[in-house]
Amino acid sequence: MIQVKNLSKEFKLSKQKRKEMGDEFKDVKIFKAVDNISFECSPGKIFGLIGPNGAGKTTTLRMIATMLKPTSGSISISGFDTMHNAQEVRKQIGFMTGQTALYDRLTPTEMVKYISDLHGIDHNTFEKRKNELFSSLDMTSFAERRIGQLSTGMKQKTSIVRTIIHDPPVMIFDEPTSGLDIMTSRAIMDLIRRCKEEGKTVIFSTHRMGEINQVCDDIAIIFGGKLFCNDPLEKFKAEMTKDNFEDEFIVRIEEA
Amino acid sequence: MKSLIIAKKEILDLTRDRRTLMFMFGFPLLFMPLFFIGGMSYVKQAQEKAVEKNLKIVIYGGEYAPEINKAFSDISDITILNDINKDSIENYIQEELIDAAIYIDKNYQIAISNNKQAQLQLQFKGTDSFGVTQERISRIIKNVEKEIIKNRAKDLQLDINILTAFNFKILNVASEKEIIGKSAGGYLPYFLILLGFMGALYPALDLGAGEKERGTLETLLSSPASRLDIVIGKVIVVTLSALASSLSAIIGIFLSFKANPQIPTQMISLFDDIINVTTILTVFSLIIPICVFFASILLAISIYAKSFKEAQTISAPFQFLIIIPVLLTLLPGTELNAYTALVPILNVSLATKEVIAGSITTFYMIEVFLSLFAYAGLSIMWCVYSFNQEGTIFRN
Repeated sequence: MIQVKNLSKEFKLSKQKRKEMGDEFKDVKIFKAVDNISFECSPGKIFGLIGPNGAGKTTTLRMIATMLKPTSGSISISGFDTMHNAQEVRKQIGFMTGQTALYDRLTPTEMVKYISDLHGIDHNTFEKRKNELFSSLDMTSFAERRIGQLSTGMKQKTSIVRTIIHDPPVMIFDEPTSGLDIMTSRAIMDLIRRCKEEGKTVIFSTHRMGEINQVCDDIAIIFGGKLFCNDPLEKFKAEMTKDNFEDEFIVRIEEA
Repeated sequence: MKSLIIAKKEILDLTRDRRTLMFMFGFPLLFMPLFFIGGMSYVKQAQEKAVEKNLKIVIYGGEYAPEINKAFSDISDITILNDINKDSIENYIQEELIDAAIYIDKNYQIAISNNKQAQLQLQFKGTDSFGVTQERISRIIKNVEKEIIKNRAKDLQLDINILTAFNFKILNVASEKEIIGKSAGGYLPYFLILLGFMGALYPALDLGAGEKERGTLETLLSSPASRLDIVIGKVIVVTLSALASSLSAIIGIFLSFKANPQIPTQMISLFDDIINVTTILTVFSLIIPICVFFASILLAISIYAKSFKEAQTISAPFQFLIIIPVLLTLLPGTELNAYTALVPILNVSLATKEVIAGSITTFYMIEVFLSLFAYAGLSIMWCVYSFNQEGTIFRN
């Protein structure tokens, strides 16, 4: 369960940064990346956070994963507050981004063992879970090869196992398919569905509307740090004034 | 505990990287023997060459001083050339076609006969190897002069000792170990500190900026490891890498001395006396906190940088900054005192020098250790602070 209440995040902008961001931000010293948002993600459901680049998706997910501290508001993960029980929160989550963030000089087994050890999983449990995941994803043949020598697909499979080796109840996916080919993207989407089937709480950010339609139960549109829509997907679909998701999304953003 | 898991993984990761292994072991182990054996043999060869070289000289006014002319003619490896115009001699010497010119005043004989000073002049190019030309020629001239003084004393019926007022004996209370320690001992910390820094540099950049660049930092930050665990784990590995590099340098120096046939046995036994287990352990105990200091500072820089390349650029001035205090150690007059014992890097260099010379006092040793631990602690705190700064860790 993820409960986000009145969450805000501000960043101080340096002169250099203001220059890089263009004339619009010339006099903006404090940038509000997330502005007073609230939502809930329930177990066994997939919550889609949709928004264009720079809308505040990654900042929100990083705050949920305790990497960033909120300026105000609160986040609770499985009953643990991210500000006061950050370490407990991190034990509850699996975090995955679009980049295959792995160590090239380790093997998939070593990579997964490292994360497992950091989560304090005992050796027998690790072996059992690793064997299950490696065989279900058909990874046994390359389990002892260096990650640097693996194909993108093999790396992504390793990344999947790395994310779920500790069987977290909450899964955070930050644009997990960004930059990936169709086959690899499909593997990720399968993982997201599987997490839902296992009763996990899933939050999934993307700017690909098609993916939202494929897997999400609830959706929220974020733009300029503000949340504009926070509804079940079916309600969103019923209220659509346009024929497709892309057009509807643009209309909603323009209205905002 | 989590920091040890991180350290274990980083060691596994780094030891699979050829570049790191090269910096940690290969470079110091190859560089030291190359520096000592190669360098010493080059110096020896150059010196021998300069000593054995056939000198070409011109003597102007040789007819006024036949004894000088004869003294040079009698030496087989000196060739006296004639017919070189005085106006062009400087060019010949500049171009190293002629090694030296000796000018003898036309009143030479009158001065010598009247017990006066005769005027002689030596012209040479002072950039030659080790000043051997000047030394060889001056020695011959001095021998002729000694003979003249002896004859003068005899003619005046004087005891030759009248010309030397003192029988000045010099007694040095410093042991050979102390002399070597205070002079050559300054070079050991030079290598240990510089190679320690170099050993820390690449792993620090890889473990901070490298992790950011590869996108693995988020994986680590979303794990239950706290920022302190992450910093401690990484500092342990970078420190070990720096120490491995320093240790390899010591082994390199040791092997260079043992395997170099050009080093006299007496020197080797003195070396064995200086480089014993206690000295190595004491020097190493000084190197450990300075390596922690390097590791923490480099990691903090590395985590601030957006990329590996930027981390390299930011850390470049630090390479010069650490050379300055190390070089100060080599200057005469820089001694370990209550103030220098507080200056990081310089205190390690000076204390190492004193340890090798066997003249370190307990007070300064404690002061150096306390200041080193304080710097190491402060640098770790700064590194942890940097890892906790959102603007640093997610700087892009």
